[in-house]
Amino acid sequence: MKKVGEPEKFIIKGKRLDGRNPDEMREVKIKAGVLKRADGSAYLEWGGNKVIAACYGPREVHPRHLSRSHKAILRCVYNMAPFSVNDRKRPGPDRRSTEISKVTRQTLEPVVFTNLFPRTAIDVFIEILQANAGTRCTGITAASVALADAGIPMRDLVPACAAGKVGGEIVLDMFDVEDNYGEADLPVAIMPKSGDISLLQMDGNFTDAEFKKALKLAILGCETVYEVQKNALKEKYGGN
Amino acid sequence: MPEKLSRKMVLPGELVAKGPIKLGDGVYREGEQIYAAIMGLLDHKKDFIRVIPLTGKYIPHVGDYVIGVVMDAMFSGWEIDINSAYNGILNGRDYISDIDIFQTSLVKILSPGSMIFASVREITPTKKVYITMTDNGARVLRGGRFLTINPTRIPRLIGKKSSMISMIKREAQCTVLVGQNGRVWLNGKPEIMAIAAMAVERIEKEAQRPGLTDNIKKMIIEEREKL
Repeated sequence: MKKVGEPEKFIIKGKRLDGRNPDEMREVKIKAGVLKRADGSAYLEWGGNKVIAACYGPREVHPRHLSRSHKAILRCVYNMAPFSVNDRKRPGPDRRSTEISKVTRQTLEPVVFTNLFPRTAIDVFIEILQANAGTRCTGITAASVALADAGIPMRDLVPACAAGKVGGEIVLDMFDVEDNYGEADLPVAIMPKSGDISLLQMDGNFTDAEFKKALKLAILGCETVYEVQKNALKEKYGGN
Repeated sequence: MPEKLSRKMVLPGELVAKGPIKLGDGVYREGEQIYAAIMGLLDHKKDFIRVIPLTGKYIPHVGDYVIGVVMDAMFSGWEIDINSAYNGILNGRDYISDIDIFQTSLVKILSPGSMIFASVREITPTKKVYITMTDNGARVLRGGRFLTINPTRIPRLIGKKSSMISMIKREAQCTVLVGQNGRVWLNGKPEIMAIAAMAVERIEKEAQRPGLTDNIKKMIIEEREKL
């Protein structure tokens, strides 16, 4: 049965509802170092998504008992602004943002050299100002730029991108209608240098072949985002 | 933003070298390959490689001179904020060599809020930073004016063979103490300090620009003439 607001068809004459090809991404724009008070920050626009990420640290851990004597701890907070969605989002942490905070931390942990800063904390805050599907990927992308901007030693930057299935077809980087009424969603974050996958979640059902296709597509998307991340950091210092 | 950088800018994960070479800060090795770990400018010499950071917190090294703020007086020493991820510890003996901690109240010697110029004596593997004031030049700072700048700009503020900092001292005729941790202390006439502060802030902003020493010198002379 069709849900309220669900479109008749997701792909018409090979084009998606917002006019993109199935393997086409929305435009991604990143600006590094937008906040003065934070040690590192990034502002990111990804289609209709608007995200700001800030990073503090390494700094003293409070409460003290959380500190580890051999490494820094990484703490991530993902938060949606009340005005980020159509219906007002009740402010404060909830099940969903707690989960996303956790997966963000687990995504970023393998790239940060936490062993260099024992007894400290590195804090990452991700604020979703406007949401339009795929905010966990935008959050991770912005957070990794903020970490690099804070001068924290990392193995690599972490770009993230989602692929999914709508109307029986595999598409890259879904927007809100596709995300809400689509059949499956596959957010992926990678470490481009080694090709390792740092985040892989799946919501919905794929067949074996569909999964492989979606994963490949998402990784391609990540590589596009990676270039944007690098350019954003270089632009801040007019690098060559 | 600024004009073209003279050194190559690298980002985390960027391949910077291959083979046997001595590694400095900001790089890491994976097998044969050497990658950058931080965003910064590549300093690639014949047998040594490192990345000069463009941003980041102050990381203490033994022998560094730092400007610290006393946060708390403990039983046998003081806790010092050194603008880093770690607080410094100044033992009573590192300030007054024959101190009797059982007889003295340390808070009367250095109270919270006092500023000190001291050097890093020891860093333990768990990153406890011990600082000392037994060195020449270490002192308690009274009066004057404090500035905090990005610690990665301090080498530029000092300049090659301290050319920049001695120029500021000479031209502005005020005392300037620079801590490696990004804190700068100025002491002199208020209007002179204002000029020196302007110079320091400009160096922080334009650290990568060529011919900076001459520009700053010109600026200080011009400002002094206005007085």
